[in-house]
Amino acid sequence: MINEAPIMQNLTMSSPDNILEIRDLKMHFPIRQGVFSQITGYVKAVDGVSFSIKQGETLGLVGESGCGKTTIGRCIMRAYDVTAGQMLYQAEDGSVVDLASIDGQQLRALRKDIRMIFQDPYSSLNPRMTVFENISEALRVSGVPRSVMQDRVSAMLRRVGLRPEYMTRYPHAFSGGERQRVVIARSLITNPRIIVADEAVSALDVSVRAQILNLMQELQEEFKLTYLFISHDLSVIRHICDRIAVMYVGNLVENATGDELFRKPKHPYTEALLSAVPINDPRDRGKRDRIRLIGEVADPSNPPSGCYFHPRCSYVDERCSIDTPHSKRVGDANSHRTAKCHFAEELDLRGVIND
Amino acid sequence: MSNILLEAKDLRIHFFTDEGVVKAVDGVDLTIERGKTLCLVGESGCGKSVTSRSFLKIIHSPGEIVSGQLLYHQPMSDGSTRTIDIAQMDAKGKDIRKIRGKEISMIFQEPMSSISVMHTIGNQIMEMIRLHTNATKAEARERAIELLRLVEIPKPERLIDEYAFRLSGGMRQRVMIAMALSCNPTLLIADEPTTALDVTTQAQILELMRSLQEEYNMALLFITHDLGVVAEIADEVAVMYLGRVVEQSDVDTIFHNPKHPYTKALLESIPRIASDRSELNPIQGMVPGPFRRPKGCTFHPRCRERVDQCKHIEPSATNLGDNHTVRCLLYENEHVAEGTA
Repeated sequence: MINEAPIMQNLTMSSPDNILEIRDLKMHFPIRQGVFSQITGYVKAVDGVSFSIKQGETLGLVGESGCGKTTIGRCIMRAYDVTAGQMLYQAEDGSVVDLASIDGQQLRALRKDIRMIFQDPYSSLNPRMTVFENISEALRVSGVPRSVMQDRVSAMLRRVGLRPEYMTRYPHAFSGGERQRVVIARSLITNPRIIVADEAVSALDVSVRAQILNLMQELQEEFKLTYLFISHDLSVIRHICDRIAVMYVGNLVENATGDELFRKPKHPYTEALLSAVPINDPRDRGKRDRIRLIGEVADPSNPPSGCYFHPRCSYVDERCSIDTPHSKRVGDANSHRTAKCHFAEELDLRGVIND
Repeated sequence: MSNILLEAKDLRIHFFTDEGVVKAVDGVDLTIERGKTLCLVGESGCGKSVTSRSFLKIIHSPGEIVSGQLLYHQPMSDGSTRTIDIAQMDAKGKDIRKIRGKEISMIFQEPMSSISVMHTIGNQIMEMIRLHTNATKAEARERAIELLRLVEIPKPERLIDEYAFRLSGGMRQRVMIAMALSCNPTLLIADEPTTALDVTTQAQILELMRSLQEEYNMALLFITHDLGVVAEIADEVAVMYLGRVVEQSDVDTIFHNPKHPYTKALLESIPRIASDRSELNPIQGMVPGPFRRPKGCTFHPRCRERVDQCKHIEPSATNLGDNHTVRCLLYENEHVAEGTA
């Protein structure tokens, strides 16, 4: 790999509004077996995913466990070296960088731009560091003087709704909701542009979850943040996201705005997923037709032929087991909506919002 | 009255720790009816799990039932009932062991940590059957296969000799349910049984539990923090906050005519798919720590409708009619006022 800047000037985004563009991303983990750790196969956790996020937008990545949504988040953070594909990031000055191929110094310079919020606030804070040390660590490694750090940390703590006096305490003294606020403060301290939030509210109680969701929305407006919001909870995704991407076994099966998706899904898997969401009102009991998926989620190391969803799909056709569908645009030429199904245009699928 | 299966009366369970006494359950009254589903809802630390575990006397030390009654109206073979107080039983004694797993059984949140990895699933189900009935090994095996089929496990004849780690999360939860149902319990306690599962699996498990309940006419005590699950499955709902039931009523009333400010706030703080994406209205502050229980009404520091008295007076349960009880001064006063007028 050539590690020089000129190469990157050739990269362009497909739209100037995009801050991040993922192109045909693949992340395959080798399966090693035997005494000599021979590679006997690959877990195709992410297998050819493309999507883009506009500046200031919230994209929700939703799917069931094992679908690869977390892996995508980690690829963007470059916690892994991706197998193939591009991850184009448009920096503040307009230059475009491929996150998948940069390394070392260049990557380090971008670390402050893309930050992560994790699911479990109990394990994502270092218990042996004070809140101040936890939050300021990223500033310290970039050489910010201590006095400046102190001001910034206390301002940030106040902003996320914690008292600055608490910065000398250790994480164990805080409740789950407070810790998640500390985690958010830590991710925001470097003035990032993109936040990858991986199940950021899943471990929280309902009342605290609502507080954190509101806080994240306020902060997004204030700091012009772009969120990649990874969650399995469709009602949370619906609440916070502008666009939603649905994943199934390493593939992105549908990408649409929240309204489009919940009103009229275009992929049979989305329809099944939506129908399984618990109702909000006991009076709706029995009114929703549940789609029962047959069988288990496909094995990402040995996926079925053709469309990965075909063994469980109720609209399956001969073609589905032979031809692998491609993501194609649904609707008119201006639509940004895509679905990975041969029959996306023909099927009349049910959503969960009716007018 | 004969329809009541289990009643908790002024149940108090305290944990005696080195730092002080944690009043995990502090005066809980509950009634569970035969064949009905009671959902126990609340945030973490409200005492919902501890309450349910006390029905089986499986509270870990240093927890102790300090007072109150747990009246179990045990159905006898001749159709009559016998009332026994579970709270008085010895946790390790013979009496409770006859009930535990047989008449009252329980399923837990994380199936992997409650199933043995050293034994096949068949062995574990057969153990239950052989412990509580005098079935032979062959009969128990047959019954185990039948149970696995009942919980919709494919190829039960083959899977009965599998180990739990070979199964997916949803399958493991099905095995847990099969095990819990092995002796036709009158009450099944389910402590967040679907929280660790994906939505599609959750929908299937809920449907399964509903149909099994109908078939066996068993009562279900369902513990959850997910109000969507409550809307799906509950007949009755009890909302808990800091070791007390603050409101109990039928599920329709809880969703459409909630009275307690905590219940109202809880309903407002969940994002809903069908509504527009307006800002959520969360409850202020957070659940206070176990040693910092507020005086008076324990919810008053976070309450939107609090009055001055809330700081000092502990509200008692007020009956609003139709089995709707609420623990809040607003309604207590109203009733007092009506009474004097």
